[in-house]
Amino acid sequence: MSARLSSLAGLLYLATIYLFVMAPILFIVVMAFNDATSFPAPLEAFTLRWFAAILDQPVFLDAAWTSVLLAVLAAIVACCASFLSAYALWRWTWRSPDAIATFLTSPLLVPQIVMGLAMLQLAELLGLGTNFAGLVAVHAIYVMPFGLRLIMTGFSHLDLSLEEAGQSLGAGRLQTWREVTLPLLRPNLVAAFCFCFMLSFVNLPLSMFLTNPSTATLPTVMFAYIESRIDPMIAALATVIIGLAAFTTLALEKWLKIRLVG
Amino acid sequence: MSTSTSDQAALGTADHASARARFSVRHIPLILLAPSIVLLFVFLVLPLAIIVLTSLQPNVLLTFDAPGIGNYGYMLSKSYYLAVIVRTVRIAFVTTLIGLPISFLAAILIYRLDERFRNIALMGLTFPVLTGPLAIVLGYMALLTDGGPLFGPMIELGLIPPLKLLGTETAVIISLIQFVLPFAVLTLYTAVSRIPQQLYEAVTSLGGARMSCFLHVTLPLSLPGLLSASIICFSLAASSYVSPYYLGGAAQQTLTTLISQFILATYNSQLAAAAAVLLLVVMLVTIVAITAFFRKFIR
Repeated sequence: MSARLSSLAGLLYLATIYLFVMAPILFIVVMAFNDATSFPAPLEAFTLRWFAAILDQPVFLDAAWTSVLLAVLAAIVACCASFLSAYALWRWTWRSPDAIATFLTSPLLVPQIVMGLAMLQLAELLGLGTNFAGLVAVHAIYVMPFGLRLIMTGFSHLDLSLEEAGQSLGAGRLQTWREVTLPLLRPNLVAAFCFCFMLSFVNLPLSMFLTNPSTATLPTVMFAYIESRIDPMIAALATVIIGLAAFTTLALEKWLKIRLVG
Repeated sequence: MSTSTSDQAALGTADHASARARFSVRHIPLILLAPSIVLLFVFLVLPLAIIVLTSLQPNVLLTFDAPGIGNYGYMLSKSYYLAVIVRTVRIAFVTTLIGLPISFLAAILIYRLDERFRNIALMGLTFPVLTGPLAIVLGYMALLTDGGPLFGPMIELGLIPPLKLLGTETAVIISLIQFVLPFAVLTLYTAVSRIPQQLYEAVTSLGGARMSCFLHVTLPLSLPGLLSASIICFSLAASSYVSPYYLGGAAQQTLTTLISQFILATYNSQLAAAAAVLLLVVMLVTIVAITAFFRKFIR
């Protein structure tokens, strides 16, 4: 009886926590489908017109395209570099693998706004100004630890003897990689890419100092828009991002069976 | 001709071959690590060094012999900037102090769920991380207003006085707890899930109750996880930008919003650099302090 009561209390506690975490997200989603002109507003009728309104704003569409391009490039750079590092850390024994892993995950502890500022000052010193390459570089650095973590998890489940078996059966090092190692790691690589993509796609502080009107990202454009007003259209835009995040989370779980932990 | 060279190579010493093998074994991992390390050096370590050098330079506001600590002296002598530093630490500290125990209990309870619900619970934590702070803070801006759906009806009925939460530290802390919670729970879940199940059985077989399971097994064995989680909470809260900017506003400036103000409004990169270095120092000092605190309990 008391065990049941305490597990009920536990469930109630978890429900409260999840309600707290989800409340602002759910509220934005509800407001995006609400047929009222102000925000926040009492519920009126269901509408999709705020989503249609986004399509009339070329600024947002251009920025969304820039953000996709930026996130894809940053994720590719981060995942390639992380893959090579994770392989090195897994395949060879080191005197201090932890020290190397700690250094490689150090960007996690540097405030993103400081990373953006640092990159701005490097670019100014080199006379480059706000250029797209710098934006890609700083995003890649920021997402790299997340990619490394996921790819290292993939390697840790991998049996070193499989690679040796491939080689002893006459496959070259490259062929072993292509036909044994890579396929086994594919779920983790795809997960790392998706994670890096999303983290870069939604990030504001990294880009704030590094964009100009032609390289504005979706978060920087949203930031500028919210400065002047908040309306249901911006809620609709946020809902698109929320939907993308939800889809990514579900896809990682369902098809790749990969989570941050577990 | 070609045969003789290959013969020579074949005859030519096993030493040679093994030296070459040793070369490749020793250098391949370094080559593999090179891209990450070079990227980090060029785009993180070097730019951070440039920030430190910039912060030592005079600027439109302050003249002194370069390199000098004039910018730091200026900021640390003005009560306004001191208040910004203290506020940054206070917000991050309160967020950690409230967020950590909440997350710890949640992590323990999630671990006790059966597998299907546990997976859903963990997914529910990944999702807000991938959503990012901008969309979430937008929700808070509408949710925390006095006319919003949360307080609006209560205020109208006279149940509570108008709260005017927006623009206060409380609003910033509420949203930061929400922001750090998934990271803290995921970190602590990993720690809790690594505790061997037999230890709990041992405690219960010796007649221990639930509470002694927690005090003698869960808590002590989770200390390394609690250490990481509190470092993560504090760092994320101290370095957050979106929450203090939108929910705290001009009245509740933190070091991050101060940096953006120096760059975007007053165009003073030297003072921005000094503020950035101060933020890094504050975080470093706190991380060292938190580590020292937990080390006392970790045997």
